[in-house]
Amino acid sequence: MIRSSSSLPAAGDSRHISAKPIDLAGLLKEAHHPAAGAVVLFSGEVREHNRGRSVAFLEYEAYPPLAEKTIAGILADAVEKWRLQIAVACHRVGELGIGEPAVVVITASAHRSEAYAANRYIIDRIKHEAPIWKCEHYADGSHEWGNNCNCHARTGDPSIHIYETTEGGSGHHA
Amino acid sequence: MKIHVYAALKDYFTPEFELAETIHNTDELKTCLLAINGRAGELLDTCRFAVEEGFIDNGFKLKENDTVIIIPPSSGG
Repeated sequence: MIRSSSSLPAAGDSRHISAKPIDLAGLLKEAHHPAAGAVVLFSGEVREHNRGRSVAFLEYEAYPPLAEKTIAGILADAVEKWRLQIAVACHRVGELGIGEPAVVVITASAHRSEAYAANRYIIDRIKHEAPIWKCEHYADGSHEWGNNCNCHARTGDPSIHIYETTEGGSGHHA
Repeated sequence: MKIHVYAALKDYFTPEFELAETIHNTDELKTCLLAINGRAGELLDTCRFAVEEGFIDNGFKLKENDTVIIIPPSSGG
């Protein structure tokens, strides 16, 4: 969590990857600040179907040292860009059942427009940039690593995402 | 040089292995990996590379004792 009482990003912990179930209520309980009039929580959860196929469970894998660093950097960027009071992100790894939270982002700011925009910015960048991968395990026993960021097909470089180019403009859409 | 691969790359390589060849940069590493499994070429072209906690590009001079992380396109969320 990054909690800031000034205009600068505050030092936060680096626990953005969790092998344990995410405690949504616990995270939200901690995400209040006297200067924040708006708190937005996004929870990305395991869906029971994918492209018409029945999903049994999901498996997430990460390279934690770089995933932690990448997510911390994204949160710091968001705090600075929208003057957030709080920015939290936590991504699960391991096997997840249907309905479990896979990733949670919480943003708190003085007004709702900044909290909504920052939340979208954070989740979109996590999906594109953090070294985290999803494997769909289907009910028929097959599995598939997928839904990858495919910006490289447009930018020609795996290190450059579409929103970093003039083609992508300033939007941050997954 | 130690190599760690993740996600779909594990369909082509063992998760962790060592290369005895002298490799100076990521282009040479890709050539070496393709010699092991040529079917991984399309996926390797979309991958990023990292050493420790930092992404690297082809200009980064790899050393014999480096552990190189090969990172397929992200699919978190």
